[in-house]
Amino acid sequence: MVVLVLDNGGSTVKAGILGQPSSENPRIIPNAVVRSKGDKATYVGHEMERCKDYSSLGYRIPIEKGYIVDWDAQKAIWDGILSEDVLNVNPTESTVVLTEPYFNLPNIQEVYDQFIFEEYEFQAYYRATPASFIPHGELFDRPGLPAPECILIVDSGFSFTHVVPLIEGKVVWDAVKRFDVGGKLLTNQFKELVSFRQWNMMDETHIMNHVKEVCCFVSQDFKNDLEICRGTPNNTIVQEYVLPDLTKSKAGKIRQPDDIPLETDQVLTLRNERFSIPEIIFRPDDIGIEQSGLPGAIAASIALLPDDIQGMFWANIGLIGGNTKFPGFRTRLITELQSLAPVGCEVVAYQSSDSILEAYRAAVEFASDPSFSERVITRAEYLEGGSVAVRRKFPDWQPPPPLREPVVAKEKARESTKGKGKQREEPMLAPKTRVRVLDPVHPTTRKR
Amino acid sequence: MPAKRGRERYARQAHNAVVGLTPEVIAKRTKRHLAELERSNYSEPSSHVGEEEEDGNYTKGRARQLISEKRTFNIPGLKKKKSSMNVRTALLYRKNFAMLLEESNIDGFPSTVPTYLTAQAPPSNYPPRLICSVCGYWGRYKCRRCALPYCDQNCEGVSSENQFEGLPLSFDKTNWCL
Repeated sequence: MVVLVLDNGGSTVKAGILGQPSSENPRIIPNAVVRSKGDKATYVGHEMERCKDYSSLGYRIPIEKGYIVDWDAQKAIWDGILSEDVLNVNPTESTVVLTEPYFNLPNIQEVYDQFIFEEYEFQAYYRATPASFIPHGELFDRPGLPAPECILIVDSGFSFTHVVPLIEGKVVWDAVKRFDVGGKLLTNQFKELVSFRQWNMMDETHIMNHVKEVCCFVSQDFKNDLEICRGTPNNTIVQEYVLPDLTKSKAGKIRQPDDIPLETDQVLTLRNERFSIPEIIFRPDDIGIEQSGLPGAIAASIALLPDDIQGMFWANIGLIGGNTKFPGFRTRLITELQSLAPVGCEVVAYQSSDSILEAYRAAVEFASDPSFSERVITRAEYLEGGSVAVRRKFPDWQPPPPLREPVVAKEKARESTKGKGKQREEPMLAPKTRVRVLDPVHPTTRKR
Repeated sequence: MPAKRGRERYARQAHNAVVGLTPEVIAKRTKRHLAELERSNYSEPSSHVGEEEEDGNYTKGRARQLISEKRTFNIPGLKKKKSSMNVRTALLYRKNFAMLLEESNIDGFPSTVPTYLTAQAPPSNYPPRLICSVCGYWGRYKCRRCALPYCDQNCEGVSSENQFEGLPLSFDKTNWCL
C-alpha cells in the first residue's frame, strides 16, 4: 500500500511518499494561493515555482491562526500535490498520514475526516499533531543512550508557538502551552517597522520574509545590542540589504563589504530591527501581546507536570519549527531557562538540524514502523462509525464524548435563570457529573 | 522593488481624536494592531485571491466561483464526481476562525478538559518594557496625546510629522526606565 505523508503547515506543506525519493527529500510546497500582479497570474501551491514577478504578491492562506478555515483554497493546494504535477498518487489506493494543529477544533477535525474519506476516498488515514511524531524521529538520538522518557517539544512555526511535553511518547495535554507568535506575525511586524522607518514594504510580504530569514538573529543581550545600534561608529550590527531589482530579475541579498555599490541599488539599512523582531518570541509583551514568551511558557508548562519528573523535562527540550532557525535562538533560550529552572537543574535543548522538516521526517519513521497499519483508521471504519470512530482511535487530543452535551448544559443554565439564587450552583454541579465519563481515556497505543 | 521612486514613508494610520486616551482606548488600539499582524495581505482582502477574472477584475454579480473547481488537477484514480454534502458545505461556506471557535463549543467543555482556550500561556511576569515607537530604542517618554513611547526629541519630531501634523506637542516625561 502506498503511504503518503503530509505535514500540513501554515506556511508550507511538506509532502512525500514512503519508499520513493520524495520520502527522503519531500516536496516543500507553499500552502497558499498566490496572485502575482506582475505576472497577471494566480498560482496554486506548487505552481508558485513558475512565479517570475515576486513584487506585491497577494496571498490567500487556507490557515488562519493555525487552523484550516478556507477549505476551498486548501483543497486546490492538496489537489495539486496529489496530481501528476507533483506526487502523482492515487488516493483511493493509499494511506495518508496528516498533521493537524494542537487542540484542533472538533468541528474542524470532522471536516478533515470528511475530506480524507468522502472527497479523496483514501483507504486509510492517521492524523496527529507534529510533536507527537517527534519521539519516532531522531531529534533526541544520542549514541549509546536510550531515548528519554520525558521530553518537551518547542514547536515555533508560522502561526503560533507551542510548548508540548510528552511522557513515554504521549502528549500531556493538560500542560501544553501556546503563545500567539509565529513567523507570519514576525514578518508582518518587520514590514511595519521597515515601512515606517524606510521604504514602504507593506505589500512585499515575500521579499520581507526573505530579509527576515537572512538578516534577523536572536540577541544574547538585548539591552547591550540596543546600545550598539545607537552609536554610529563601531556599530557591528548594522547591515545593508540590497532589495531585488525586478527589472533585471536580480535576487535580493545582504551587501558585502567588497561589493561595489551601484547607484540604482535600493538598500534597506537594518539596525535594531535585526534582533528586535525575533525578540518578540521571547517577549511578546513588547508589542502588547498579553502572553508570556517562550521561556515563561516553558516554565508554566513544566510547573503543571508531576514534581518528581520535572527535572527530566528541563533536560530534554527539543526545538522544531522555522523560527528556531534564527541564529542564537538556542543559546538565548538556554540562558533564560537557566535562570527560571530550579537551582542545580540541568537545562539541555536539542536543536533540529532541519527544524522545518523534523516533524515530517519523524512522521515518515512512524509510518515505516511495522505496527503502523494497526494504528490507522480505515475507510470502512469511517463509513460505519463516522468521525466518532476516528476520535476513538487516534491518541492525540480529541473532544470529550458526547460532543453535543455542552449545548444541553447551556440550555440548562438558561432554564434556571428564573431562580437566580440557584444559578450559581448549577453550572458548578453540572460538569462534575460529566467528568467521569469525559476523561479521555485512550487505549495505550505506543509500545517501545 | 516595484517602481517606487524616492523615499516614501508609510504613515501610520493617524490616531486623530487622541486627546486624553483612556486605558480602554489604548487596549483597543493594541488589539487592532495585533489583528493587523495576523493579516495575509495589507492592501486587499486575501479572500479575493484566485477569484478574479483573467483580466484582473473581480467577478461581480455572479456566484462566487470556487478556486478548487476552476483549477482542476489530474489526480490518478480519482473519478470526477459530485462532492458529498459535508464537503460541499465546507467548500462553499467559508467561516473565519472566530466563528469556528464559537461553533466548536469548546468553552462549554468541563474545566478538567484542556482546550485551545485553556492552553494559552499566562501573562508575562516581567514589567513591560517600553520601546520607542519610532526608532526602536528604549522609550523613555510617553506622548501625552497618543500614549506611544518615544526616546528623544528626534523621534518626537518624526511622530509629529506623521501623526499630529502641526498640533502642538506636549510630552509627559514618565521617566519609567533607566
